[in-house]
Amino acid sequence: MSDKKSLFKNVRVIIFILALLASIVLIQPGYTSGEGATTNLNYGLDLEGGSWLQIKLQGALVQVDADPGMIVSQMVEPVIGAPIQITSNNLEASGVSSSEKSITFTTSVPVSATQLELMELGTVSVDRLNQNTTQVTLTTSKESLIQAYLSQAFDAEVLPISTEDGIVYEIRTEASEEELEALMEKVGGTILRNEDGTSTYQEGVSTDTRDLTRDILNDKLNSLGLKDIPVRTVGEDYILIDFAGIDLATAKDIAEKPGKFEIRIQTTGNETQHVLYGESIVSVGIPTYHDNQWHTPFTLNEEGARTLQKVAIETGATDNPDAHYLNMYLDENKIYGAPLSYSAASRLKETPIYSWEASTGSDEAAKIEAETLQIHLRAGALPVNVVLVGSGHVDATLGEQFKTEAVVAGFISLLAVAAVVFYRYRRPEILVPMVGTSISEVIMILGVAAAIGWQLDLAAIAGIIAAIGTGIDHLVIITDEVLYEGKLPPTKVFLSRIGKAFAIIFGAAATTIIAMSPLVVMGFGTLKGFAITTIIGVFIGVVLARPVYGVVIKELLEKDGNGTSESEGLTE
Amino acid sequence: MATGLTEFLDNFVKNHDNRQLLAIPLAVLALSLAVLLVSFASSGSPVTLGMEFQGGTQISVETTNSPATLEEMYSSYPISDARQTGSRVIMQFGIMDNEEQRQLEEDVMSRYSSVEIKQIGPVYGRELQVQALQALFISFIGMSIVVFLIFRSVVPSFAVVFSALSDIIIASAFMRVAGIELSLGTIAALLMLIGYSVDSDILLTNRVLKRRGTLEEKVSRAMQTGITMTTTTLAALVVMYLVSTFPYLIIPSFTGIALLSQISSVLIVGLLADIMNTWLLNTGILRWHVMKPEFRGRYNR
Repeated sequence: MSDKKSLFKNVRVIIFILALLASIVLIQPGYTSGEGATTNLNYGLDLEGGSWLQIKLQGALVQVDADPGMIVSQMVEPVIGAPIQITSNNLEASGVSSSEKSITFTTSVPVSATQLELMELGTVSVDRLNQNTTQVTLTTSKESLIQAYLSQAFDAEVLPISTEDGIVYEIRTEASEEELEALMEKVGGTILRNEDGTSTYQEGVSTDTRDLTRDILNDKLNSLGLKDIPVRTVGEDYILIDFAGIDLATAKDIAEKPGKFEIRIQTTGNETQHVLYGESIVSVGIPTYHDNQWHTPFTLNEEGARTLQKVAIETGATDNPDAHYLNMYLDENKIYGAPLSYSAASRLKETPIYSWEASTGSDEAAKIEAETLQIHLRAGALPVNVVLVGSGHVDATLGEQFKTEAVVAGFISLLAVAAVVFYRYRRPEILVPMVGTSISEVIMILGVAAAIGWQLDLAAIAGIIAAIGTGIDHLVIITDEVLYEGKLPPTKVFLSRIGKAFAIIFGAAATTIIAMSPLVVMGFGTLKGFAITTIIGVFIGVVLARPVYGVVIKELLEKDGNGTSESEGLTE
Repeated sequence: MATGLTEFLDNFVKNHDNRQLLAIPLAVLALSLAVLLVSFASSGSPVTLGMEFQGGTQISVETTNSPATLEEMYSSYPISDARQTGSRVIMQFGIMDNEEQRQLEEDVMSRYSSVEIKQIGPVYGRELQVQALQALFISFIGMSIVVFLIFRSVVPSFAVVFSALSDIIIASAFMRVAGIELSLGTIAALLMLIGYSVDSDILLTNRVLKRRGTLEEKVSRAMQTGITMTTTTLAALVVMYLVSTFPYLIIPSFTGIALLSQISSVLIVGLLADIMNTWLLNTGILRWHVMKPEFRGRYNR
C-alpha cells in the first residue's frame, strides 16, 4: 500500500502532475545563448520597460427640459441683432407629425436663411411679409433645438440618446452641473430629476462613446505599426494605454493629440483654400500597391464630395490640375500634397467623386507614408474631449533589474522559509515536499498566466508572494494536523485529520479570496492584477497542490518508519 | 526562534488570566488609534496619503548626485521632496500643467538613466482614494461574513474579526509613524494582511471549538502551528524587504523596488501585531467565552 505505485495511482496526484507538466509546457522555459533564459511569459510595463497613459473622457449625460421659444430667441437674436417675436409654436403639441412640427417668429430686420441654417436649428424658410417684418419658420423639434443650444453653449458635439426614460443628451466635453443649470435657466428650462428626486446629471460619457473612443485609439496606435498596444477601458470613463518599450514623451506624442484633419486646395501661388475637414471622410481603406504606386483609399460623404467638386471647378483645378495641388493637413501641418490625376480632373467636371485614392510613390518610404496617411485620415479626431489623468514610465534597463531582483527576492525568500520549516520540524521528509509544493504552486500560477496571456508586473509578483505565503501556512496546518500526536496516525485517523485540516484551510482560503474580490470587480489599475494573481494562486493551491501534499507526506513519513522521529519540534 | 517564541508565549498565556491577556493588545490598539486620531485631527487624514491618491508626479532616477543637488536643479518646478534610497533619488513634484510636465520629463530623461516616472492627476487620485477605501471596507465586511458563516457563533467570530481589524489599525498607525505613505502598494499590503491574519485566527478558533482535549492543550497546540505559520511568512517577508530595499548589498548595481519594499514593511509590522492579537487578544476572548458556565466545560475535556 505504501509503495511508490499507489502514490502514482492516486487521481489527485495524477491531476497535479499533469497540471504541473502542462504549466511547464505553457511557460516554455528555454535557453538561447544570445538572449539567456527565455520563457513564454508576458511581462508588464514595470518589468519590461515602457510607458503608460491613462486618459479621462470628459463629458456629461443629462436630461433637460426647456422652452423652445426661449431657445430660439436666445440663439437667433444675437445673430440677427434684433429682438424676435414667437408667433406660433407647435413643437410641444401632440398629434402633429414630425414633418409639420415647426416654430415661427417675426422680426423687424432682414434675415438670411443660411445664417440660421449654420446654427443647425432645423429647416429654415424666410418670408418677407412687408417692409418692416420678416417671418421665419423653423421646421424642427424640441430635441434638435436643445441639442443646438447646448452644442453652441459648450462649443462641443451634443448627442441626443433615446432611452426608456426619455432623451438623454450627451455633451462631449467637460460640463458641470452648475454650468448646465445656469444655461437651462436662461431658456426657461431645468435639469430633470429622476423619479427618486435625484438629478439626472451624470459626469462622463455613454458606454458606446467610450468604446468608440477606445476603438479609434486602438486603431490609430495599432495601425501605426505599434503592435500589441493594448488600449483598455478602465472603470466608467477612463482609458488606459500601455506602450511597451516606448518612452513617455513619444507615447504622449502618439496618443495625446487626436489632431485636426483638413484638405485644402491651392488657388494661386502659395495661397490655398479650405475644402473639407476630417468629418467629411466616411471610411478609409488599407494602403494598396497598384500601378507602381502606393495608394491610401478613402471615401467622402455626399457633402464632402460635392464641396470638393465645386471647389475644384471654381479654382480651375479641373482644367489645370498641376497648378492646383490638393493638400492635406493635420493640425495645420501639411502631411500630403498631390495634384488631381487627369482622369479624376475630367470626371470631376461632370459628377462628384466619392471614392478617392491618395498615391504616395513607389518605394518603401512611400509605403510608410501611405500607412501613416491612413491613420491620419481615419483617426483625425476622437469623438470626445480627453484629458490625461495619469502616466508612467519605466526605463527598460530598470525593468530588467526589477525582474532579476524579484526573482532573487523570491528565491532567497524561499530559502528563508525552508530554513524556518527545517528548524521547526528537522526532517527532510517534511521539508522537501513542503518546498516542492510551494515551487510547484508558483509554476502553476505562472502556467495559468502564460495560458491566459496575463501580464506579470510587480503587483502580480506581490500577488504570487501572497498566495505562496498563505500556501506555506496551509502546509504547516496540514503537517501539524497529521502529526498531532507527534507521529503518523493509522490511515483512518489520518484521513479524518486531513479532513479537519482542510476545514481550516478552506475557511482561510475563502476569506482570502473574498477579501481580494472587491479589487477584481472594482478593477482599478495595478491592484486588479494583484488581486487576480492572489486569487488564482490561492485557488490552485487549495484545489490542486495542497491535497497532494497531504498524500505525499503520508507516504514519505510511512516509509520513514511511521514518523517516530526523535524531534518533532513540539515543546511541552 | 519559532520554538523559543512559542514557549514564551505559551507560558505567558498559561500564567495570566484573560483580563491580563487582553490588556496588552488593547493598550497597543488604543495607542494606535490615538496616533491615527491625532493625525486625522492635524492633517485631515489618518495616514499620509501618497502621490497616487493626492495627484502629482514622482520621478526616480539612478544618480550619484545628492538629493539636495537635485532639489536645487529642479527648483523651478514644484518639487516638494527629494529622497535617497540606495543608489536612487526619488523626487516628488506637485501638480503641473501638461507643458511643464513634458519639459520636466524630457529634461530628466536626457540627464539620467534608469528613470521611473509616475504621474497621477488630482481628480483621478481622489477617485482612486475613494475606490481604495471602498475596496478595503468591502474586503473587510466580506471577510467578516465568511468568518461568521464558518463558525456560526457570535463571540468567536467577533474575536477573529476584531483581531484582524486590530492588525490593520496597528499596521496603519505604524505607517503613519514610520512615514510610509498610503499608496496602491500599501493598500495591497493591508488587504493581504486581512488574508494572513485570519489564517491563524481561524486555526485557533477551529481547534478550540471543534476538537476534544483540554483548553490549555488545544491552545498551546494551535499556538505551535500558528507561530510556525507566521514565522515562515515573516521570514519570507523580511528577506523580501531586505532585497527590495537594500539590493545593492547583494549586487552593487541594483536599485530598490519601492512597491515590494513598502508592501513587505507594512506586512512585517502587521504580522508582528497579528502574533500578539491572535495569541493574546483572540485567545483571551475565546478562552473567556468557552469557559462560561453555560457551556459546562464542553470545550475543555
